[in-house]
Amino acid sequence: MNAIETAGLAKYYGKNRGVIDIDLQVKEGEIFGFIGPNGAGKTTTIRLLLGLIRPTSGEARLFGQPVPAGGGKLYAKIGYVPSEVTYYPEMTGLDLLNYANGFYELESGHWVEELTERLQFDPEKNVRTYSHGNLKKLCIIQALMHQPQLVILDEPGSGLDPLIRKELFDILEELNQKGVTIFFSTHVLEEIERTCHRVAMIKDGRLLQVGPVDKLPGRDMHIVVMKIAGSQPSKVELARIGEAEEIPAKPEYYRILSRQPVNMLVTNLSQYKLDYLRISDPTLEEIFMELYEPAVKRGQNSYV
Amino acid sequence: MFSLNIIFTEVRLNKRSLLIWTAVLAIVILVYLSSFTFMEEMNLVEMIEGYPDIFTTGLGMGPEMFGDVNVYHGGLVMLYGLLLASIYAMMLAGSMVSRDSDLGTVEFLYTRPLTRTTILLSKVLSFLIMMLFLWVVAYLFSAIIGRFWVAPDEFDLGAQLLAHLMGLLACLAAGGVAFAVAPLINRVQGTTSVAIGLGFAFFIFNSIGNMYDPLRFVKYLSISHYADLTGASSGQVPAAGLIVLPLVFLAGVAIGTVLLNRKDFTD
Repeated sequence: MNAIETAGLAKYYGKNRGVIDIDLQVKEGEIFGFIGPNGAGKTTTIRLLLGLIRPTSGEARLFGQPVPAGGGKLYAKIGYVPSEVTYYPEMTGLDLLNYANGFYELESGHWVEELTERLQFDPEKNVRTYSHGNLKKLCIIQALMHQPQLVILDEPGSGLDPLIRKELFDILEELNQKGVTIFFSTHVLEEIERTCHRVAMIKDGRLLQVGPVDKLPGRDMHIVVMKIAGSQPSKVELARIGEAEEIPAKPEYYRILSRQPVNMLVTNLSQYKLDYLRISDPTLEEIFMELYEPAVKRGQNSYV
Repeated sequence: MFSLNIIFTEVRLNKRSLLIWTAVLAIVILVYLSSFTFMEEMNLVEMIEGYPDIFTTGLGMGPEMFGDVNVYHGGLVMLYGLLLASIYAMMLAGSMVSRDSDLGTVEFLYTRPLTRTTILLSKVLSFLIMMLFLWVVAYLFSAIIGRFWVAPDEFDLGAQLLAHLMGLLACLAAGGVAFAVAPLINRVQGTTSVAIGLGFAFFIFNSIGNMYDPLRFVKYLSISHYADLTGASSGQVPAAGLIVLPLVFLAGVAIGTVLLNRKDFTD
């Protein structure tokens, strides 16, 4: 059974598009990444899945049941972590957890204690004193405390320091090994590559591609930034390595988008006398710029 | 149908404002009701009789008011008490709904295994509990000051109970109006503005309706008219109010439920 299934899901706000024709299937037990630039429609899609907003057309189903627009018992199976977290300022973290606990019939508090310890969260403080990171931890605990079958997270890593972010993804992977479906949106490629089985890419409200992570476009790309001392190479020379351009603000610096294997790339770069070299993986924004901007301009929506 | 978890939490989240407004209402009762003897001594009846009828009826200050502690309390003290209490009732009901959109707790509350109808009805029930507390305290306070201090022989506890019941029903009706409009408003500040505006509008509609015969119809738009505190405090049962005010409350809750179920929770 699919944990999440959408068919022709669309949302318009008046004449403004939210998302258009989202067809998505997330199998039970998958870790599914949902990536796209800011404003692409990730949060709108998630809100549609949760019934917080109603679709203009199309349908969303969770565990085979239509998403109820007015809420309902189906939500007992779901844990949700929004990107921006705010809670009642009159409460402490513990009050909030007790409030959340009151909506479920939890057998024991051991799991909540474990989450609290692993995320290094102090629940005794007042909500209004928590930093953004601590609010996020509180949100994660309350979303996982009832051991949901599906966890939906919107930009889960934002606001968390690297150690806690790693711990969070460890927890999510452990839950997944127990059969829990994880669906999360992000614009951090690293999070996708580390954890996801499959990924969907969204841009301008439309799904561009859905597939396994190792088929993610741009995984073979490298971004080279280098400064060449002495005589400067010709454009033709650099074009053998990849798509090269001078960096206008920095004379003698070049930025090259290369698809060469690393060994070949290093060999080719070694022929130059370099004052500076940085080789990095492209960011999600860079992948979208390099791969999808031309496609969209040509009127194509998919590389599939 | 209801979530005890939400009911208790809403009471808890709003207890500070409830205590403050209850204290304000109690102070109004204390100051005004304890002034009755003083006003009696000032021969205010004769003075009021000298004012034009349009003025005294508009402000609900007829000469009979200063000769009878029950009419004075119901018709004057509670009239202004109702103005305050109805504004608070609308602020409370409105903020209970719009606070989640304003604060950003929609994503916490509206993704629980509850229907939106259950969430709203639970908030309505906690509103009922808080209004009951407010008016019970107001009645007890009035009874203690009136019966044991101001007019031990004249203060009619039965008639005042009826007047306070009408005050409670008027506040429920005001809350019903707020529950109906709150799903359309995403900011607590917005519901507060509506509450203050409507509270004064109800008061002014009743005054204008009593002052000018050609505009008599506007008083039928006012909860103060249906509460008929002057009549209730002199022992007359306001039959129209007993029907209209609960109906307004129920209709408001029903409209609010429909609107909340159709609402898109965007950012």
